Amino acid sequence: MSAIARWWAVSVRDFRSGIRRPLYWVLLAILLLLAWGWSQGAVTISSGDATVGGERSHVTSVFAQSMLQCVAVMGIGAWFLAIAAGLVVIRDLELQVVEVFHSTRLTPREYVWGKFAGAIGVFFLIWFLYLGMSAVLNHIVVAGEDARHIGPFALGSYLFPTLVFALPQVLLFAGVPFFLGTWTRRPIVVFFFPVAVLLFTLGFLTTWSPDWLSPQWNRTLMLIDPTGYRWLNETFLTVDRGVEFYNTAALQLDAGFVLSRVVIGTIGLLGVAGAATSYAGRLRSGDSGSRFLAWTARTLRPIRWVLWPFRLLAWPFVRVFGRRRRADEVAISEATSAARALRDLDMATEPLGFWRAARVIGREEVRELVRRPGMYLFVPLILYQSIFTTLVAIGPFNSRLLLTSGEVAVRQLNTLSLLICFLLLFYTVESLHKERSRRLVEIFNSTPIGTGSILLGKTIGTSMVAGLILVIGVIASSMVILYQQLFEGSPVGFDVFPFVATWGGVMVPTFIFWAALVTALFAFFRNRYVVYAIGLFLTLYTAIRMAILEPFGWVRNWMAWNAVQWTDMGTFSLNGRELLLNRLLYLSLVPLLVALAVKWFGRQDRDATRLVHRMRPKPLLIGTVRLVPFALPGVTLALVLFFGGRAGRDGPAVEEAGKDYWRENVATWTDFEMPSVSDVDVELDFEPAERSVAVEGVYTFHNHRDHAYEDIPVTAGQWDPIEWTLNGEPHEPDDRSNLFVFTPEDPLGPGDSLTIGFSYDLEFPRGMSREAGGAGQFILESGIVLTAFTPTFLPTPGYLDNIGVDDDNSSEPRDYPDDFYEGETEPLFGWGGEPFTVRTQITLPEEYTANGVGKKVSDQVADGRRTVVWETDHPVVLFNVVAGKYAVKEGDGTAIYYHPEHDYNIEEMSAALDAARKYFSEWFYPFPWDLLKISEFAAFATYAQGFPTNITFSEGIGFLAKSDPRSHIAFMVVAHEAAHQWWGNLLTPGQGPGGNILSEGMAHYSTMLLHEQVYGDRYRIEFAKRLEQMYGDQRFVDSERPMVEIDGTRPGDGTVTYDKGGWVPWMLQQEMGRENILAGLQAFIAKYNPDSDFPVIQDMLAVLRDFAPDTVAFDAFAEQWFFDVVVPEYRFSDVTKTLEGGEWVVRGTLENAGTGRMRVQVGATSGERWSDEGDDGSRTVVNEDYRDARTEVELGAGASAEFVIRAGFEPERVVIDPDVLVLQLNRDAAVFEW
Amino acid sequence: MLEIRDLVKVYPGPVAALQGVSLDVSKGMFGLLGPNGAGKTTLMRIVAGLLQPTSGAVRFNGEDIVSDPRRIRRQLGYLPQDFGFYPHLNGEAMLRYLLVLKGVRAPQGLKRLAAELLDRVNMSYAAKRKVKGYSGGMRQRLGIAQALAGDPALIIVDEPTAGLDPEERIRFYRLLAELAEDRTVLLSTHIVEDISVLCPRVAIMYDGRFVADTSPTEARERLAGTIYQGAVAKEDLTEVEQRYRITQAILIEGRNQVRIHLSEGEAAEGGVPDGFESVPPTLEDAYLLLAQANGAGEADS
Repeated sequence: MSAIARWWAVSVRDFRSGIRRPLYWVLLAILLLLAWGWSQGAVTISSGDATVGGERSHVTSVFAQSMLQCVAVMGIGAWFLAIAAGLVVIRDLELQVVEVFHSTRLTPREYVWGKFAGAIGVFFLIWFLYLGMSAVLNHIVVAGEDARHIGPFALGSYLFPTLVFALPQVLLFAGVPFFLGTWTRRPIVVFFFPVAVLLFTLGFLTTWSPDWLSPQWNRTLMLIDPTGYRWLNETFLTVDRGVEFYNTAALQLDAGFVLSRVVIGTIGLLGVAGAATSYAGRLRSGDSGSRFLAWTARTLRPIRWVLWPFRLLAWPFVRVFGRRRRADEVAISEATSAARALRDLDMATEPLGFWRAARVIGREEVRELVRRPGMYLFVPLILYQSIFTTLVAIGPFNSRLLLTSGEVAVRQLNTLSLLICFLLLFYTVESLHKERSRRLVEIFNSTPIGTGSILLGKTIGTSMVAGLILVIGVIASSMVILYQQLFEGSPVGFDVFPFVATWGGVMVPTFIFWAALVTALFAFFRNRYVVYAIGLFLTLYTAIRMAILEPFGWVRNWMAWNAVQWTDMGTFSLNGRELLLNRLLYLSLVPLLVALAVKWFGRQDRDATRLVHRMRPKPLLIGTVRLVPFALPGVTLALVLFFGGRAGRDGPAVEEAGKDYWRENVATWTDFEMPSVSDVDVELDFEPAERSVAVEGVYTFHNHRDHAYEDIPVTAGQWDPIEWTLNGEPHEPDDRSNLFVFTPEDPLGPGDSLTIGFSYDLEFPRGMSREAGGAGQFILESGIVLTAFTPTFLPTPGYLDNIGVDDDNSSEPRDYPDDFYEGETEPLFGWGGEPFTVRTQITLPEEYTANGVGKKVSDQVADGRRTVVWETDHPVVLFNVVAGKYAVKEGDGTAIYYHPEHDYNIEEMSAALDAARKYFSEWFYPFPWDLLKISEFAAFATYAQGFPTNITFSEGIGFLAKSDPRSHIAFMVVAHEAAHQWWGNLLTPGQGPGGNILSEGMAHYSTMLLHEQVYGDRYRIEFAKRLEQMYGDQRFVDSERPMVEIDGTRPGDGTVTYDKGGWVPWMLQQEMGRENILAGLQAFIAKYNPDSDFPVIQDMLAVLRDFAPDTVAFDAFAEQWFFDVVVPEYRFSDVTKTLEGGEWVVRGTLENAGTGRMRVQVGATSGERWSDEGDDGSRTVVNEDYRDARTEVELGAGASAEFVIRAGFEPERVVIDPDVLVLQLNRDAAVFEW
Repeated sequence: MLEIRDLVKVYPGPVAALQGVSLDVSKGMFGLLGPNGAGKTTLMRIVAGLLQPTSGAVRFNGEDIVSDPRRIRRQLGYLPQDFGFYPHLNGEAMLRYLLVLKGVRAPQGLKRLAAELLDRVNMSYAAKRKVKGYSGGMRQRLGIAQALAGDPALIIVDEPTAGLDPEERIRFYRLLAELAEDRTVLLSTHIVEDISVLCPRVAIMYDGRFVADTSPTEARERLAGTIYQGAVAKEDLTEVEQRYRITQAILIEGRNQVRIHLSEGEAAEGGVPDGFESVPPTLEDAYLLLAQANGAGEADS
């Protein structure tokens, strides 16, 4: 028999064993599920047009398949490969079959390579089954009604990604664990590899790409990424290339990437070669341990003190579960060697008690864990991951977050839970399997120690790992916060309570449940591969489901994933009850699992015949009945959560009521034009602790139109009973599923008014939630946030077309004619009609401060209750109510109400608010109200809303932004939201395409102006570049429409509305001149405030045109940037510099590889432009050594032009658009440096 | 007293490992002799509470072991046929850990007791060495030490002398004999000499059944005057095999020495081959004849 035949025999043998292993079946099941999910178009490249009939990127394209295969191997396959390949030799060693093998002519190398081939052979079989099923689902079944995501079949689209992306990964994730397993013979080390690589790759390599990362480093990271995803993403996906490209282009590889893939695959194969060498060497020497490990241990002995922190932390566990040395114990050397009869030893046997036995087992487990390398590998790794993800956390507007203890604790919650569950799975299974793998099982099982003690003792041991990680995690987190304090000037101190509450209260029950479940599974199946398969499936499925797909409700959310949203203002006030029940549910299952584990644990090998007898109905019933007491608490809690959730605020009853509302009213009331509300007078009596409010109020309707109204519809929430009045008299309107239609005796004629009154009590949020999550509005002990957008606490005039609408009954976006803005246009938000006055009387416990719109006219306290009255001193289009236990910072006509512990950025925010009020009043329109205020609310939602005079900020916005003097994040978010007083309230945009740009885009433009005004060019440029970068990254080339057509329905509309919407007015300002555009904007606001016609972009352009010094240029600009989609992208070539007659002459060619025609400056520069010297971070300082010389070039799409710059200094670089005045793509690439 | 009644064990296949065996074992050493696959280890594991039988009863001192194996664990010293230890522990630590698990107490303390037990099995010199460096014989002796520890009422040892050198075998015999004075010791082996030396009583198993329950002396006496031994040339061996019932055929000084069994009648009728002389029977003769009678093609020797 040749060497190849022997190798083949080993491969085939292992392949056949492998395909029977449940581990692979589970992998196959997961991959087939993925294939199905992807065939539905759930995940594909973000490109194309989402509208009906629009082109979508194909999930079958080579780009999409490359992306999906990267993810499938890395996120799922790697785990299974590592276990399957890493343990294959270890298993043979445990079975003691290798010596028999090698008594034949089978050489160690043939054996090792054969085992490896067998292991990955099964994986490839499964992989090709997956590809085949993907092809069948995509091209034959064509799952899903809308199959625009399916392209024509091309075999290469499936196989090429497998060759380029999957194969190297498979070799790596099989080869290296195979080596580690063969070399160390320790399963835990095998598991370490995928954990380490996955964390590093998913947590960093594939995702970390800050703006400032140099191209060289980016390229390096692309090449070392084992998945290849970073290369794919950065090269093809980050900047949208259009759906046509993704669907039809070939995937062009570059030499560096090909080499990287070869190297990555080779590393895997080298691992196998290394395994063969190690295996052969140890077989020859007969050594059962690794000589290298022994050498490493010897070498590292002098620096073993580095392990002291770990050992020190582990010491209490060893101590607690350890046993004191007895005084009468002596060294073995003291023992007599004289042969004596056994009876002289006076031995007796007295079985240990339950707890002592558990302690003995636990102590041994702990000691072994402390001695093993696994813990010293895993613990730092897990901590790196959780701390790193916390450190790079960003908030709204890409702001860096100020890390409070609560934020740090909660941000690590999901990651730590998942990783520690993985770790517990590995450690628990290996611990339970330990006696069997070491053939001690019969001796061990014949001892009189109780099964419960064994399981408890082993659980204590493995739990120590989790405990140790949590303890070290708390210490590391405190260090992060301390570092922030010491080196970044953070005012936030460390507080242990959030860790105790969330890690102790939320995570620890997860671990207890998980350890019990894994133990029960192991006891039942008695096969570690089955348990690994089930365990991996449960954890991965849970993570995928919670993070990507539809999340589990409270009943099934065993890991409490996303269950906590930290807020310093009262984390558990929103979902605390549900979370408590969820934790109790899973803790209550532990006794059941323990009972099952003890019952099933294999102290005695079962007899198959007896087992069959036990499966008869009667014994089975008896066995089940015996378990009922254990299961009862869990079942009860599950039922409470299930039915509580169904009856609660987001349950089916609420959904169905919404559907009824839609069904009954959509045909009749859609597009019904309401009369104006001219006055609102409401009295609100809050009980925050009970989430309740008693409401009483009156709306005055004024018919501002030229026709009479017979019916006036008002939408109410599900408040029962509601007492209505009409013109002060009790009234029973027609109840059309909560659309209450009032029919006055006499129709409401033009210019007439009537009043509708109401009173009711409500609880909000009502009842329990079905799943973890936040809330945008609430009445909670932590505070109150309510808006009049929707009927959350007050009736809303008219019919609301977004209630009761979901995927089943949603309609296509409205198609607006080109001249839709002619005549009167309804407002984009608000109640419609003309602005109105509001009086809000708020009563609540005296420790709360309550803010409404307008001016505070009274604030009285009586009997522990505070009553505050707010009245508008200028009409508004919307209103809100916010309350909390606040401190206040007063400014110049401004005030900020904040949580007393959140004073970190108050000075900057207050200055920003003052500046905004002052300059926006000068530039756009005088601020007509008395006071401009910001109120903070708990971070159950992350948004800010600029209601008239009463801006609400989630605590994560501004208040907890990291106050970096170079980015002015707090300033930026305050400026943006404050700008909505003008762009949103004083100038309320019209409903229809482009309307929202007048709100969000103009707020960004205003922020840019304010940056320039307050901090100078440097910071305006930084802000503008940030918007430009976001636009470049988030735009969808194919579906991007002109700004006048943006209606928010397509992907990519968001970045056009905000980022491009901020940039284009800035460029228009360069075109018109600053004073002209500001004068035009003043005229624009003045024209439409107040008015019953609400403007859109075309209205603004019509006003601004009158202020343009060159209307032809104005029209050309508007045509390009408002009515068309253009973005320049500049490239330099042939750049030279020569010294001619005492001056430097720079020549070169500039090309516009993008679209649009713009005048753009080209600068030859020397030195750094901005100086930090003398700059305390608040103003721009230009470096004295900086020099630049400029020229101007105008280029159309695809055009090139030569340029010449003459400079009195030696230029170091040539840059495009030095002052950042022209929006463009890939600005960083348009730099030439000598 | 160990009582085994109608014990049946059927493995999936089905393979009937025990076919309704019954046995009473009182204090003292009791040997189980049988070829590989006879069911000895299955029986031992059932008695040790490690394997659930298909049917039947096992009682020790009146306590039902089948329904509640925990009862036997308190009184058991067990040395399985195949076992290992935690490789990272040294011999003393490993033994002490097992002593703790077994609930062993001794006035001198467990550490000293472990040392003395290791001394009894001549392992003091390796007490501080990690178990992963132990030879097969050393591991076997460590196993013996743990099995003998405490005050077990029942000691079960399965192939205990495997891997032991002659000196250690003798040492082990002495320890076991001492223990057997006041407790039940169940010794399973296919090495007939172990039984001859140690066991006043022996049961011979074949194919999941007891085919004999006797004492070595009785077994030998039954064959008195029926065993003949003589030298046979290699070319004649086949003919002798066909004509006589050979109990053993061994090479002594390069020549085939064959032991055959002849009944008194056969011997009287002149059936004794030339050159063969009557010799005292051994237990091995008895065991092998029983095995042949039960259809074994080849018995262990």
